Amino acid sequence: MTVNRKRVWMEKIFHAIFFMAASFAVVSVGAIIVLIFSRGLRPFFPGNIYGTYNFFDFVTGLNWRPAFGEFGVGYMIINSLLATLGAILLGVPISLLTAVFIAEVAPKPLAKLMQPAIELLAAIPSVLYGVFGFAIIAPAVKSISPHPTGDSLLAVILVLTIMVLPTIVSVVVTSIRAVPQNYKEGSLALGASKIQTIFKVILPAAKSGILTGVVLGVGRAIGETMAVILVAGNPEGGIPTTIFDRVRLLTTNIVLEQGYAAELQAQMLFSTAVVLFFFIMIINIILSKIQKKAGDM
Amino acid sequence: MINRRIKDNLATFLIWLSAGIATSILVAVVTFIFSNGWSLISVDFLRNNYEPTVRFVNIETSDRFQRPDGLDNRLIFSENLGVALEQTEAGYVVTYLDNNSPLRTAIDLEESLFPVKEGHFIEEVNGVTINHQTPETEVLEVLNAEATALIKIRELGGGVFPMMVSTLLLVFVTLIVSAPLGILAAIYMVEYAKPGRFVKLVRFATEILSGIPSVVYGLFGMLMFVQLLKLGMSILSGALTMSILLLPIMMRTTEEALKTVPMSYREASYGLGANKIQTIYKVVLPSAMPGIMVGIILSTGRIVGESAALIFTVGTFASLPVNLATGNLSILETGATLTLRAFIEVKEFGNIEMASAIGIVILVIVFSLNMISRLIVKKLSH
Repeated sequence: MTVNRKRVWMEKIFHAIFFMAASFAVVSVGAIIVLIFSRGLRPFFPGNIYGTYNFFDFVTGLNWRPAFGEFGVGYMIINSLLATLGAILLGVPISLLTAVFIAEVAPKPLAKLMQPAIELLAAIPSVLYGVFGFAIIAPAVKSISPHPTGDSLLAVILVLTIMVLPTIVSVVVTSIRAVPQNYKEGSLALGASKIQTIFKVILPAAKSGILTGVVLGVGRAIGETMAVILVAGNPEGGIPTTIFDRVRLLTTNIVLEQGYAAELQAQMLFSTAVVLFFFIMIINIILSKIQKKAGDM
Repeated sequence: MINRRIKDNLATFLIWLSAGIATSILVAVVTFIFSNGWSLISVDFLRNNYEPTVRFVNIETSDRFQRPDGLDNRLIFSENLGVALEQTEAGYVVTYLDNNSPLRTAIDLEESLFPVKEGHFIEEVNGVTINHQTPETEVLEVLNAEATALIKIRELGGGVFPMMVSTLLLVFVTLIVSAPLGILAAIYMVEYAKPGRFVKLVRFATEILSGIPSVVYGLFGMLMFVQLLKLGMSILSGALTMSILLLPIMMRTTEEALKTVPMSYREASYGLGANKIQTIYKVVLPSAMPGIMVGIILSTGRIVGESAALIFTVGTFASLPVNLATGNLSILETGATLTLRAFIEVKEFGNIEMASAIGIVILVIVFSLNMISRLIVKKLSH
């Protein structure tokens, strides 16, 4: 009897421990949101010790000049969008075709060599891509740019493109490989060429995997900070008119000034994080809507 | 038909072109890192401190030491101190130390231990300056002259030893926190939870966690651990921040691993009279272990490569995380990881060579971790 009761107690205690561990994710999200938001939203409410700031001006402002008490992140939102969009527009077609190459076109030994290599490259820390961008890409951009520096939207897009390549390729290769063999055989038997089969049968069948790859790529590009700082130029304001203009992104703004910011400026960096948080949530919701829609078709 | 052939050829061309571009860019990145950093890579690079140091140490010796057999004839050996020196252009450098050499337990003027190592330069003994021009006989004479010696030691610096130690400590502490947390949470989700609101809430939370960019984790960690919990910029603050960042990955990989354990295992265990805890501990976890290990190894790679979440939680100082009062390693002290340092080298000094050399060390670590996880997966599928 006592042994049994002890057992029941043990079960209950362990159950509670497992439950608490699982709740930890919820608690963490709560803590992150409460802490970041409570500090980041304070400047927009009256009674803030460092002075209040108009929320509308903050979100739409095109200049970030702490020395003049001007904090606008509007241009950073646009820059972040442009950089991500550029990297996806450039990176997705290349990755898609590379994945097709590895999964369908390449001679077997070559494919066997390339796939693990690409997966390995997905594990390279982004800082190293940043070092490459700083030493090779920015100077290359400089040589064709009308401006005196190579730090530019173009350099950011190129670095991000290189970074998302391995991520997207490895996901897409897996999803292409998962397409049932008889789809392919059916298409070939109907007289379609190999290339037609790839583009008309295999890729549509692998659609959801491709979208997952793109979503992962967007996630990696949008949240990237350290690699981008090194090639962005990080100006105090302005929307780029050409791809050779310098840009400051939401992510880079935080790291650039956190080291020395104080008072209102320090709070404003948390406000930037709030905007970044919503920015990413909105994009994730849109992407998951698209993914669901594609899944239904 | 001709139209189709043209289209096919064009498509094939584009496919080869893309694959060529993608591969050559990625090869270029790795080649760049290796070719730029290779010249700095040496044993000293891995062993030395980052900052050059000069230290005066007191030595007391009582033993006499034997010149070891097979020691290079060009080296001079002090029987008094048990040390072999090589004359180089930069001065006399320690190349061999006897296991019992008093230099290994040298005490500096602040009374703390400063063990002399291979690679250190000896620049002065009892007031006699030694440089690259000093004749060997004279060096031996001053080294063997007395039983106590005040020696000036120079360590070249330029190494990444402190960052390697910090990285290792960070990985260790992070895994100690995050692995049990992720595994316990995953056990709840797979073995206990019934579909419902709580499960949905946890799923939603982990989804949000995996969407938050690491720089926001950095801000959070700074506020929560560095400031509110008063841990300061330290290995511990960084590790706690990383633990939350890694929670979704840890949970997902462990859940996947638990799900692959066949139901029949659990039923057999229950059938033998085991209870749920025993079944989980003795049956489910062991058979899910390889999958869990892969999750842990991949997380290690993430920790080694992370920078944005760490820059304001562990700091960027290139020194060992050592408590200055006790001289011991401490997780409550600040110390940059390899990746953070590579970033600082480029951002602050534009030192591409140093960043690439650190990059080589990082790549070797990350690549070997990936190889190991690949081997485990391969073994699993057989």
